[in-house]
Amino acid sequence: MSMQYRSNTPEQTKKIAAEVAQTLKAGDVLFLEGNLGSGKTTFVQGLVEAFRYDGPVRSPTFAIMNVYPTSHPTIQKIVHVDLYRLADASELRTLALEECLEDPNALVIVEWPHLLEPLIKKPYTKITFAFLENEARLLTIEKYP
Amino acid sequence: MRVLGIESSCDETAIALINKEGDQIVVEKKFLASQVKTHAVYGGVVPEVAAREHADLVFTLLQQSGISRDGSDVDVIAVTAGPGLIPALRVGVELGKSLAWAWKPGGAGSGFAGKPLVAVNHLEGHIYSVWLTKEMNVPQFPALCLLVSGGHTELILMKTHGVYELIGMTRDDAAGEAFDKVAKLLKLGYPGGPEISRAASKGNPTAINFPRPMLDSKDFDFSFSGLKTAVRICVESQQGHSVEDIAASFQAAVVETLVTKTLRAVSEYHPASVILAGGVAANSSLRASLQQVLSHQNETVTFHAPDLSLTGDNAVMIAVAGAFRAEKEEFVDPLTLIADANLSLVK
Repeated sequence: MSMQYRSNTPEQTKKIAAEVAQTLKAGDVLFLEGNLGSGKTTFVQGLVEAFRYDGPVRSPTFAIMNVYPTSHPTIQKIVHVDLYRLADASELRTLALEECLEDPNALVIVEWPHLLEPLIKKPYTKITFAFLENEARLLTIEKYP
Repeated sequence: MRVLGIESSCDETAIALINKEGDQIVVEKKFLASQVKTHAVYGGVVPEVAAREHADLVFTLLQQSGISRDGSDVDVIAVTAGPGLIPALRVGVELGKSLAWAWKPGGAGSGFAGKPLVAVNHLEGHIYSVWLTKEMNVPQFPALCLLVSGGHTELILMKTHGVYELIGMTRDDAAGEAFDKVAKLLKLGYPGGPEISRAASKGNPTAINFPRPMLDSKDFDFSFSGLKTAVRICVESQQGHSVEDIAASFQAAVVETLVTKTLRAVSEYHPASVILAGGVAANSSLRASLQQVLSHQNETVTFHAPDLSLTGDNAVMIAVAGAFRAEKEEFVDPLTLIADANLSLVK
């Protein structure tokens, strides 16, 4: 089953993210796939704002992982991961990602997830960001398995 | 006072030994675990050669550094406690704690059972990289610091040693991240900063009018995500711009944004000194522009940028920041110190 959204602006991408946020529960894993500048971090900003976290949500490309504590009763923290800089799957073990993926009170969002996707042992939702004309974006949401 | 600095906040694991006597600071030893050469083939930094893998390297590093096994030539241990990547931070923090626990105390801080330990904020370390200039030309307070690196773009007001106010930061991508990603879009090598800088020196900085994000906003925040997207659109549209012109125009947009915001903060906060620090402080265009514009606008404000060898992550800066904390006897307990991924500079 898949759903699609069209976003014409970064603000619309954030609104879509806030809608998606309503459907999420603790322990969920979100994969965000799309090229540089397609709106992945913007989406995470909108999603995290929907959980009333008012601190900064910035690209984790360098840090690889940012953690945002929330006041939500079950999703107590949002773990924002970015695997852009990883060259192969052997590097994943240096990141202790399993600790986050197994945390029942965490929502884990992974940008550039291609190295993790073949290895993950639990269901996940993938959102693909594609470019349309005039800088619009097409967001496709699919659940796996 | 001899301070052993330990830094492992992200990709780099490093140790250094400095000796601070009064205002005089001498770097006695410095060692880095990772090398840019190892990274170059991947088009990005490889965390594997850092992070948890570096747990295997720390004792080799210590051994190669020639620091005494019993710590007799070390008075204080300074370690980066955050912010950063937790598995990476833990490598350095646990090493610092273990050494502090095992080594006998020297002169300073002898009220503690082990070797005195200080926790240093990674950002603070970058700021203290300018206390190592050879001319003894140290910043005066208050000092305004523009910290620009792969992971950070922050404007920080330093009121005195160890006292900071965060006045602005990036809302999305760091400036250094924009350099790396644009370098990849332009199929230039890694790290992106020097490659963009080299290409830009042969290009026309006014060829393309890239956006200067948030230049007119009243706060001191930055945003570089839109600029990255503008470069991608420019590259994909194949308008016939040369790589050199795109690099030069991109760099001009980043530099103008950083310099303009910094100048505006100078007008607002009236610092005695301006500090430029972090990996992007190695960019010659940014260094020159900021220095030039500052001297034009206000001759009394002094400008400070680190030696090029200290712009990237290193342990020397951690040792220097740690020495100033040790002078104020701000020691931490090895039993309770933990790495903090979100460690704040502001208490």
